[in-house]
Amino acid sequence: MFKNEEMEINMGPQHPSTHGVLRLKLRLDGEVVTKCTPCIGYLHRGVEKICENKTFFQGQVWTDRMDYTSAVANNLGWAEAIEKLFGITVPRRALYIRTMLNEFNRLASHLIWLATHGLDIGAMTVFIYTFREREAILDIFEAFCGSRLTTTAFRIGGLREDLPPGMEKMVRNFLATFPDCMNEYETLLSENRIWKKRTVGVGILKAEDAIAMGVTGPVLRAAGVSYDIRKAFPYAAYSEMDFEVPTRTEADTYARYLVRLEEMRQSARIIQQCIDGLPEGPVMAKLPKVLRSEVNEVYHATEAPKGELGYYLVGEKGSVNPYRFHVRAPGFINLQALPKMIEGGLVADVIATIGTLDVVLGEIDR
Amino acid sequence: MNAAPVTMTLLQTCVMAVLQAICVVLFVFIIVPLTIYAERKVLGFAQDRLGATRIAGHRVGLTGWLNRGMWRMGKVPFLSYWRGLPMLVGDIAKLFLKEDIVPTKADRAIFLVAPALSLIASVVVFAAVSFYPGALFTFPKIVPIIGGLPFNGCITDMNVGLLFILGIASVGVYGIVLGAWASNSKYPLLGGLRSGAQIVSYEVPLTLSLLAPVVLTGTLNFNKMTLALATEMPLYAVPILFVSFFVYFTCGFAETNRMPFDMPEAENELVAGFHTEYSGMRFGFFYLAEYINMVVVTAIASAFFLGGPYLAPFGLHRYIMHVPFLGAPNGLWFVAKMILLLFTFIWVRGTIPRYRYDQVMAVAWKYLIPFTLILVLLAAMVRYAAPALPVA
Repeated sequence: MFKNEEMEINMGPQHPSTHGVLRLKLRLDGEVVTKCTPCIGYLHRGVEKICENKTFFQGQVWTDRMDYTSAVANNLGWAEAIEKLFGITVPRRALYIRTMLNEFNRLASHLIWLATHGLDIGAMTVFIYTFREREAILDIFEAFCGSRLTTTAFRIGGLREDLPPGMEKMVRNFLATFPDCMNEYETLLSENRIWKKRTVGVGILKAEDAIAMGVTGPVLRAAGVSYDIRKAFPYAAYSEMDFEVPTRTEADTYARYLVRLEEMRQSARIIQQCIDGLPEGPVMAKLPKVLRSEVNEVYHATEAPKGELGYYLVGEKGSVNPYRFHVRAPGFINLQALPKMIEGGLVADVIATIGTLDVVLGEIDR
Repeated sequence: MNAAPVTMTLLQTCVMAVLQAICVVLFVFIIVPLTIYAERKVLGFAQDRLGATRIAGHRVGLTGWLNRGMWRMGKVPFLSYWRGLPMLVGDIAKLFLKEDIVPTKADRAIFLVAPALSLIASVVVFAAVSFYPGALFTFPKIVPIIGGLPFNGCITDMNVGLLFILGIASVGVYGIVLGAWASNSKYPLLGGLRSGAQIVSYEVPLTLSLLAPVVLTGTLNFNKMTLALATEMPLYAVPILFVSFFVYFTCGFAETNRMPFDMPEAENELVAGFHTEYSGMRFGFFYLAEYINMVVVTAIASAFFLGGPYLAPFGLHRYIMHVPFLGAPNGLWFVAKMILLLFTFIWVRGTIPRYRYDQVMAVAWKYLIPFTLILVLLAAMVRYAAPALPVA
């Protein structure tokens, strides 16, 4: 009459905390997860193939729609990869503005991460607080390029336009209030007993496992590996910036939380340096009307908020569009660590772990 | 409670009981929508936003009319903040009007009964809750049948009131577990199992935390306990009562499935937990039951630990007993304390995250239960040391 059997449940693709359309097949022994299989592809649009049929100038709008919480970082990678492919030198002022907006984007992305991660664990007030600050950042994007989420912020060779009047004031106002806002989140969470109980020791991913699986970004840095492409292979204006790469050694969800919070502080520091040391000059390089590639290839990696975002482009002689385009999406590669992090944990840990990986399905499914 | 015993005929008893029951049910069904509205507003306040300001998209019908009326309030400085009040009507109306879906694979009979069980169990508890000791007023002689009879502050002033409350309140978990099981679906099953384990576990420290006041007062009668706890406790019993209050209130959060113990629903883990498959008013029953349970918990906490209708709690009331207005029992104090505690429920929800299931159980079995056992022991020592305490 009585028999023991494991229960298989589908978490997602429609579930409040699978951050979009992630689907996990979980085998449960009571509340303990014995096996986890992520299923992806529900948001596949074929971005890579589409970009191969667009010109180098047109492709950028598609990169907005991969990791839609960090469109600016995606734009930056695309623009720089093509500049590398064609050997274009970008004016220094444009580099500074790009760096500044990229860091704003990191803040926006980390704020969304904190919001949803907190909400998943039940801290609902943090959600609203972080969205308040994110709103200010989106206003800055809007002032710069007219759109808030899918920004298409940059142009190949620099920027379409210089900073609009009043932008510097917006940035300075934001920087003046942001540290207080950070303290507010920290007051609610960092030393909160329940928050620590839910995150300390949960979803551990050791450094050697992380490296073996190619995991990058804050997840890797929380395991004690100080690998940040902004330092390792500086791009944009990062070589001129003074900032630190925060690392922790605990490799758990709480460590990743602390690493991301510290990254937000460092981002604010970089923005401050950009706005203070903004050089004068043009913002756009001289470019031909049509970019026709040679037979060559380029891999350009940038430190997106989620990790190493790599663009691999192959040129074809005389062609106006890339022959082959591939994206090394950080979320896609980080996601494969998920089963390792949650097997043996409880159902509630699955939620905390998805949150701490900061997955965005638009980027994973592409 | 000092009213002279009144002899009543069977008819008179029935009419009085029905009248009082209607009053209490009205009170409950007024305070519950207000709590739901307050939840939106208080959370809005905590989260730097406005909270409810309209019923979305309603331009026609009753709610549309309310919406338009309320929209005019938007121009008035103070009232503009309250223009979401039609939400009260809209929320309940929506639940009534939505389609009631029964899954084909569900155990139909149990599926239909479970929400009612949950709701009834939480409402019936009020039969023994006393809002005011003794008669609120006496019906004039000209009223047929019940002329000259007192209208009491509680429906039944039974001598085992507290036992009745605890007994009935524990029936509510059947509604949740049966509803979850009858849904024949995986997420509700997990939610139901969590809920069964959690509520049964927390009933132990909850009851034990109420045992300290029972030991100190020597009675289970609601009114006598309230009076004795407010006026007759020695000063050295105050710490025990104070700690009991905290333990009771913590368990109250778990019993009502509220943050940080909202395991059975845990919307971010189990979608909607035990009521995932429910829709329409059957979901509404569970929803209302949760809020009524909140009101029950606050009513009991208010009566036993905050003095209830007596202004000062923990036996301190005896110092102000002879002050003209403040010394007299007053139903308003009772309700005011309930509102304060309801606010705390919402405040906590807006502030702290959710425990994990195993941690919830650990809190109950490893900390609260041993702790309450010590409290009961201390209460017994106080009782031994102060023989002047009342004996039922």
